[in-house]
Amino acid sequence: MLAGLLEGLSLVFQPLALALIVFGVVVGIVMGSIPGMTATMTVAVLVSFTFGMNPTEGMMLLLGIYGGALYAGSIPAILIRTPGTPSAAATIFDGFPLSEQGQAGKAIGIATIASFVGGAVSVVLVTLLSPQIANVALNIGSPEYFAIAFFGLTIIASISGDSITKGMLSGLLGMLIATVGLDPTLGQPRFTFGFPELSAGIEFIAVMIGLFGLAEGLNRYREGIGSIDIQQDLSGITPSLADLKNIRNVTIGSSVVGSIVGSIPGAGGDIASFVTYNEAKRWAKNATPEFGNGNIKGVAAAESGNNSSTAGALVPTLTLGIPGDSVTAILIGALLVHGIQPGPGLFDNEPGLVFSIFIGFFLVYVVILVLGLLGAHVWVRVINFPAKYLWPSIFVLCVVGAFALRGNLLDMWVMVAAGVLGFILRMDGYPLAPIVLGMILGPIAEENLRRSLEISNGSWDIIYTSPIAMVILLLAVVSLVAPIALQYRENN
Amino acid sequence: MMKDSGRREFLATAAVGTTVGVAGCTDALTPDDNGADSGAADFPSDDIEIICPFDEGGGTDLTARQLSEQLEEQLDTSSFVTNSTGGSGSVGFSEIASASADGYTLGILTVEICTVSHLDIGDVTNEDMTPILQYNFDPAALTVHEDAPYDTLEEFIEYAEENPGEISVSNSGTGAIWHLAAAEFEQAADIELDHIGYEGAAPATEAVLGGEVEATTSSAAEVSSQVQDGELEMLAFFGDERHPAFDDVPTLSEEGYDVTVGAWRGIGGPEGMDEEIVETLEDAFDDIYDSEEFEEFMENNNFQLEHRDAEEFGQFMDEEYDRFGELIDELGIEGE
Repeated sequence: MLAGLLEGLSLVFQPLALALIVFGVVVGIVMGSIPGMTATMTVAVLVSFTFGMNPTEGMMLLLGIYGGALYAGSIPAILIRTPGTPSAAATIFDGFPLSEQGQAGKAIGIATIASFVGGAVSVVLVTLLSPQIANVALNIGSPEYFAIAFFGLTIIASISGDSITKGMLSGLLGMLIATVGLDPTLGQPRFTFGFPELSAGIEFIAVMIGLFGLAEGLNRYREGIGSIDIQQDLSGITPSLADLKNIRNVTIGSSVVGSIVGSIPGAGGDIASFVTYNEAKRWAKNATPEFGNGNIKGVAAAESGNNSSTAGALVPTLTLGIPGDSVTAILIGALLVHGIQPGPGLFDNEPGLVFSIFIGFFLVYVVILVLGLLGAHVWVRVINFPAKYLWPSIFVLCVVGAFALRGNLLDMWVMVAAGVLGFILRMDGYPLAPIVLGMILGPIAEENLRRSLEISNGSWDIIYTSPIAMVILLLAVVSLVAPIALQYRENN
Repeated sequence: MMKDSGRREFLATAAVGTTVGVAGCTDALTPDDNGADSGAADFPSDDIEIICPFDEGGGTDLTARQLSEQLEEQLDTSSFVTNSTGGSGSVGFSEIASASADGYTLGILTVEICTVSHLDIGDVTNEDMTPILQYNFDPAALTVHEDAPYDTLEEFIEYAEENPGEISVSNSGTGAIWHLAAAEFEQAADIELDHIGYEGAAPATEAVLGGEVEATTSSAAEVSSQVQDGELEMLAFFGDERHPAFDDVPTLSEEGYDVTVGAWRGIGGPEGMDEEIVETLEDAFDDIYDSEEFEEFMENNNFQLEHRDAEEFGQFMDEEYDRFGELIDELGIEGE
């Protein structure tokens, strides 16, 4: 291991490799902060540049983009209530209220620190424990995955705001929207009304851009604050010691949880950040300000959760040769071009490369920390831009972003429809976040439950007999019943 | 502004915003008013667009970008890839089919062009296309866990005969090519398997590693690292000839089952293209196919080469269309 570590260090600490890390992070931040531009897309388009480089250099560029884009998704989430990437959806809950209070700089500062800690902690964990984490991930089969998604859906209760009933209705709506497309088991089109475009399902990111970006803008005009400027405090970008102490435990805990979630193939930063946000909220008793009203712990939990999932996603990629998410799938392709086969033999055959990936990814997060804290001043000025120009520009950005996803006009209409829907729902006090959660987790729960039953020929034993699934399902029940029971006791 | 090389185009578009740039410029770069100078004689006098019906970064996209880059040198023109995805490729296929048949809009045709209409996902078929050249065929492979109670194809089939429906086989999605491959093998061997669909080939492979299913039928490339490492074992290859990297694995036809099935890729355009233009393009892609650069690219990415000229490719697609139509009918997975 030591020899590999030294070789990895010597590969990374080359002028070109280091320059590529910085360049990658910058490109990633620019792309990630534009709603509709995902890390996957940016990495996919730039991957052909890496074919002419050596494998380490190529990985440095791609990892830089990966980390940078995932981090930068938080910037528009905080500033304009529109997540730049799906992973940043949970960052909105407390990030945007901070921004409304003129504390956008502070929120970005906290998001940057939390992203750094999340990325760094998970890289260290993954470096030390990759094979062990991979084994745990292999034991997560369809029944366990169903249980995780089911547990995740209970989060709706805690992100519903005032009315749990309305939250549940929103969640169900999200799950309903996600049923459009090919039936996961039978392969038959559902609710597509004969449009082939719909057989791939309603584009999730387009819905998210509409639901948050467009609906937020419409809402501002309705409330007549579309042209009212909020003066942002530029002094508090580098978080104070007290703030850091405040978020310390939440950030470290979320980083560990996020790493584990990220290592499960198919579960990425979006699920990780919802889970860590929810846990942070559950653990924090009597938080002031409350979660959802601009508590920095909420921002820290979501951002350390989603950034730690990136290094987690490298675990199955490098140890099993199975991509942890769509970005790592492209990384595998980039390695294959150099004749390197990711998989169980990689640690023995290419220890230098494996360690250079870990070391490089750590440096990526160091660069994010520096650029993030420096850049926050610039980004905050974006919303100090007069509101009467800002919001129309955001509308344009929403339309362009939705179209850019797949070059598909339908996605643009989906975005507009989601925006109008989100606007109406908000007026009636329905929370929007459960829709997103339902759209992410509904299909995972459905597909894995049905697949489990298919494997067991219809017997529910496959779920009872999995200890992991049962523990997670019990946790779900407890987390649903406990708040109600507590309230009942208080009332009596 | 973007008539330079593909790489420069990437840089420029990446700078202004990845796909917005590419998608946005598409229309600007393929003017519809090239009727006057779009004759066969001076073809190509404009940029050539290649529509890729699958996502950036996927296998089909990689080959599209390679072809596009080499086409630029070959025809001394500029060429670019646009991704139009969804509906198992049918969205992109429809876009190719409805483009003007002047040779300036081409697309990647994959095995799905012969299945989506049977599956009721889209209504576009190979009939809507002008075939130009096939460049790839990745046959399926039957792969099991190393601890499985069978070490050869014969033992696998014996076990399946004794325990009908006991062996579950993962695939990349119901109705996807690897599902159809498993079903065709099942019919030929007269056994009963339990087909389990996953979201893509990677989780399908993981399901075998984790012991959730017994076997998988994706391409050899998808399982090659696990097979090389010994955790998975390849029992049979569904190609005409043995796979070069796994030459100790027999083909199904060697073992007496007349099945050749897998994913393939080719290039084509909308129906009704000018014959001379097709010929020009076919020659160009032929030269690309024969180039060392392309061969090396395909090998590095674990794609197997397979060449069919325009006519052969057209016939092949007709056969595939009929064959999958029957198979999908029998499986009963088409929509109502």
